[in-house]
Amino acid sequence: MNSGVTPSRAVPPHRPCVDLERQSEGLDDDAVHRFILGSDDRPNKLSPQEATQQLGDRFAQLVLLKGVFPRNAGEVLNAIEQAVPSGHPLRVQQFFLVGEGTQIAPMPGVAVNRNLRFVATVGKGPGGPDIMVSAFHPDHGTIELMAWDLAVGGFNYYRTVGTSSAWVFAGNSRHALTAPTRDNGPFESHKSGHFLMKELREPWVNWHSPKARAVPSIFAEENLLDHPWVANLAPGDAYTLEEDVTIPAIQRWTKARLEALVSGNSDETPRRVLEQVLTTLTVNLASSNTSSVAAATGAVPRVDLPDTFFVDSAALSEVLGLMSPPRPFVPSTLYAESLKTFDVRLTDDSQFERPGDTHFAFVVPERAFEDTDTLWEAIERGILSRRLAASLLMVDFPNPIFSEKRQRLLEHVPDSAFGQVGDFSQSIADAIRASAAATQPGTPENEFAQLWDAGEDFKAPFDALLQNYYTAFGERLATQEGFDGYVRLAEARRDRVKAMPITESPMLFSRTNIPSGERTMRADGTVEEA
Amino acid sequence: MAVLSRFDTPARLDELSEGDRVSWSAKVAEMIEQLTGAFPQFYNPTVDDTPSGLTPAAIAWPAFSARVLREEGPGAARWDRADSSRDEQDEYCEWSVERGGDDKIIRVTFTTEVPEYWEHAAENDPNRLLDLYHRFVDPRVELVDLFDGGEYVPRNPWNTSTEGRLAHFVQRSNTLEAAIRLVAEATILRAREDGTPVTDRQELVACAGLGDPFRNSDPQIAEIVNDAATLGNEITLLDPVGLYLDGLLSSGMETHDGADAAEFWQVERGSPGHAVRASFAVPEDRGYVVGDIKINGRPITRGAQVADKVRVRIGAVVKPGDHQPGRRRCGE
Repeated sequence: MNSGVTPSRAVPPHRPCVDLERQSEGLDDDAVHRFILGSDDRPNKLSPQEATQQLGDRFAQLVLLKGVFPRNAGEVLNAIEQAVPSGHPLRVQQFFLVGEGTQIAPMPGVAVNRNLRFVATVGKGPGGPDIMVSAFHPDHGTIELMAWDLAVGGFNYYRTVGTSSAWVFAGNSRHALTAPTRDNGPFESHKSGHFLMKELREPWVNWHSPKARAVPSIFAEENLLDHPWVANLAPGDAYTLEEDVTIPAIQRWTKARLEALVSGNSDETPRRVLEQVLTTLTVNLASSNTSSVAAATGAVPRVDLPDTFFVDSAALSEVLGLMSPPRPFVPSTLYAESLKTFDVRLTDDSQFERPGDTHFAFVVPERAFEDTDTLWEAIERGILSRRLAASLLMVDFPNPIFSEKRQRLLEHVPDSAFGQVGDFSQSIADAIRASAAATQPGTPENEFAQLWDAGEDFKAPFDALLQNYYTAFGERLATQEGFDGYVRLAEARRDRVKAMPITESPMLFSRTNIPSGERTMRADGTVEEA
Repeated sequence: MAVLSRFDTPARLDELSEGDRVSWSAKVAEMIEQLTGAFPQFYNPTVDDTPSGLTPAAIAWPAFSARVLREEGPGAARWDRADSSRDEQDEYCEWSVERGGDDKIIRVTFTTEVPEYWEHAAENDPNRLLDLYHRFVDPRVELVDLFDGGEYVPRNPWNTSTEGRLAHFVQRSNTLEAAIRLVAEATILRAREDGTPVTDRQELVACAGLGDPFRNSDPQIAEIVNDAATLGNEITLLDPVGLYLDGLLSSGMETHDGADAAEFWQVERGSPGHAVRASFAVPEDRGYVVGDIKINGRPITRGAQVADKVRVRIGAVVKPGDHQPGRRRCGE
């Protein structure tokens, strides 16, 4: 949670996903219940009429409403398959595998907690599959399922607990957007109601992928050897998941959501969109394409770093057309030395520990694609102007995520419906510039005001600011001191992610001896330690 | 499966005469056979038995160059670079682009055809080679354009550019012989100077000199082969030996009329399961062109944007064995 975020409305006490799980125990088998945390006090068994009214997705229509209540993920897929004719798009099934220890081979006498889980997708179409299932084991209980609601749009969230056949409808994507349901239950992690694939981009660290396979011998250890889901993992693996599932699914919900917003059919206001622009509700994880081992052993001379660690290039360059950063590289020798300096090691907090980094070097959080896509769509639909977006995002640009300065600007954003304020973007700019803080040097309001004054032809002056910064961090990457500073900054950002519910494994990041602390990047490429 | 009677042509293409298909098999067999002596865990399936019931390993990867992505980052610059030269298209998939009068893209053609096959046609049946160029590249091609001193020139004027209609691979790493050699050489287990086994694929590729450690294709193939060799198994490539287009990941592509863009993916050579040439173009009666289709909200202005959505595949066969291979030091 971003403690400083000002939500659109008062939020009741936070009710995490574990509440959903705890209170879903002991429910009636062979039934579907509604339990939307924040809205419902307890699970309510839905009558067939209520379920038909409220659940407009293909999973509900083809399975639950037909009186079929699967107990595991395998049964879910079988039930759907039996409900549609041969050749139907819902006969298309794809399987994917993720786990923070998938690249660690079994070791005698050491049980490694790899946190393996499967994603199975059902369906195929321009918007991606209609149904996504997540489970630790295809044949065991506890299922999480998302299914696109054909009636109201957005994904419906379902789950079971243990081996029960009691299904819980935990909300729709739109419940992620507004109080009292936002941040509760599944929306604790699915902050804006999207499908999650944290490690979205190549090399998809932690996923079985073309860049790093799950070690085959772990399947025997996990009792999955020869399981059809393992034997039939999707060709291209995480690459296929990114291109054919995750990005289309995120875009599908973003479009539906913002279409509803501009047409006046939404409970949210444009301020909710700006929360995603100005704050860090969630993150994706990026990493080097270079394996830590190859770098540490000197097998390769240099390590590429994610440019989104240094600047929000996805928003600033790809959406707004500002100057792209040069590809950041660090010599492998400097990277290897930092592993020693900071006693970098990987552990599952149980039996497994080894020196060194995660499989791919330098895993760091970056702006979530769902937020970048929301920015893109908001500009495309005229909710935000390019000038406003650029001026906001250039405030404190050396800190692409977790920027307290940009977050503060949210205080000047009105919580009014779309179209209620004449020129929404201009009104925000006016409000910031009219604030008392705008006259005080060093404040984010003052920084914004200067940026706004660049006018519609903001590209050249903004590019000049970026160019100076790119040169500065590029020079520091050639020195041990400079790179070590970035490692310390990376650790501070990882600490923020460890406090987020999307962190489900101690092996998401490596450990270091770097003390906790606030660290920020300056425009001269140096790191400020609080 | 028993002993394979002969290697089929890539994608089981049937345009060659029976005699030329037999000699193609001999050519592939020779490429493999010359390596089996030095690499005992690499075998020739036309000589040694392959037990029935084995599930071939399908190894797949994105067509877009991982090397270019690593060097340019995820922004649009990588597309420009990949579209600038076929030499940048190094994942066993190359493409070329055709544009209309308004500069919008109207067709992108992808190939996984190895140059050796076209060289074989050139050696044995030049008129058939010319016919292939007429059908798939340009009807204006003449034999004189394709030969120099009697030798076929793979990188001829009609098959050099990233514009127009390409014929087959020209990037230097994209050859059948390179793929075969990679599989053979990757059967060798490696160790660092201190005896530590090399298992990381990037370290393995660098250690064994197997090419660029940052490509999607070769390091993955090498790792899978090396893992199989570690268990004492024997490995070969799946017949029909070749690289294949494994389809277009069309989800997320926005068309003017809501059509699934997969409809516009046409296999030109081979079959859907074994495609070696395909094009992406919108039929004229739709009233729009490829350049009007959007990926991630952006109109397609480069062929490389489509390459992001194209998957490439090779098949390998792992035969249980009882080899007890030692490990060689890097560079040996």
